Amino acid sequence: MSPKSLPSSKKPLLSLLVRHPAFLGALIGILAAFSQALLISAGGPEAYGFCVACHTRDLVNGMTNIIADTSLALAPISKNAILPVMSVVGVIIGAFLSAKVHKEHKIKRTDHREYFIYFIGGFLVLQLAMIFGGCPYRAALRTGYGDITALLFIITMALGVVAGTLYMLRKAEKEES
Amino acid sequence: MATGILSKEVAIYAVPLVTLLLGILIGYLAQRSGYCSIGGFRDFALFRHTRLLSGYLTLIIASFFGYLLFWFLTPSAMEHFFWALTSNPLTPVPGAPAGLAPAAYLIFAAIPGFLVGLICVLLGGCPIRQTVMASEGSYKAGFFFIGMCVGSVIFAAFVSGWVVVLMRAIGLGV
Repeated sequence: MSPKSLPSSKKPLLSLLVRHPAFLGALIGILAAFSQALLISAGGPEAYGFCVACHTRDLVNGMTNIIADTSLALAPISKNAILPVMSVVGVIIGAFLSAKVHKEHKIKRTDHREYFIYFIGGFLVLQLAMIFGGCPYRAALRTGYGDITALLFIITMALGVVAGTLYMLRKAEKEES
Repeated sequence: MATGILSKEVAIYAVPLVTLLLGILIGYLAQRSGYCSIGGFRDFALFRHTRLLSGYLTLIIASFFGYLLFWFLTPSAMEHFFWALTSNPLTPVPGAPAGLAPAAYLIFAAIPGFLVGLICVLLGGCPIRQTVMASEGSYKAGFFFIGMCVGSVIFAAFVSGWVVVLMRAIGLGV
């Protein structure tokens, strides 16, 4: 997890800024508000600028609707537009480019059991996120927009993370002893 | 009906393009910074590291100021800002299955929140981190993403209906 030390660049301040999570956090917040100001005429909901779970849902269901002529539910903004929101495609392209440019792209294979666990994990996280109406990122945007239920989501999410961390610590201690 | 800077005729063409560009920028920077919301809380709980957590907390604060700024500039696009003051504070911004009592949405926030935190920390990252790791070449994160894609169709076809029926059955319908 710790950031790798990079060779000194010509713009140290910019490179430090680009690699700091707080910079990206500020950027997503402002750009999400900007994209709502720009695009809201196409349809709601509000505080929908960026969300990995919802936008994946819109992308998959929207493309399925276009290709297979089904009518799976998706957000009005994706339903009204010519194509659904593409931010997840963008994230994949952007992260791939960045990994390639900085030579951090590396194929990592594990066993089938782990693939299955991650598949089920992704499946469950999407169901839960959709029941709430957003992933952690839309929860943050909604909290900024003034939604108290989203703040509740963030608080219980933090509790869930602490519970999971304690479980992992206990498991690691058991394996050591 | 909220109106933004672009008219509806233009916006329906701009939606995929603008979100794609936004996504590329976010994906690039997320790969650079290792951005992760769940990881922020985890690192803080384990080591008292605040680097990743600062990213998530900045997002909450920046989104408030971003929405505030554009509420001044284009008030018609921010119809319900600040939500807790313009609407019933216990109802959510639309996005979850509609047509239920406020108590149902508190349940929808509290229980999925806990479980999302738990599952994601055990798998080592929130949805955006998994997507970024999949782009970096991790197969297991790729399967997480495939799970989300399959889950999308299943949710729209079955689960959203079941959840509404369940909530109505315990008396939380409208």
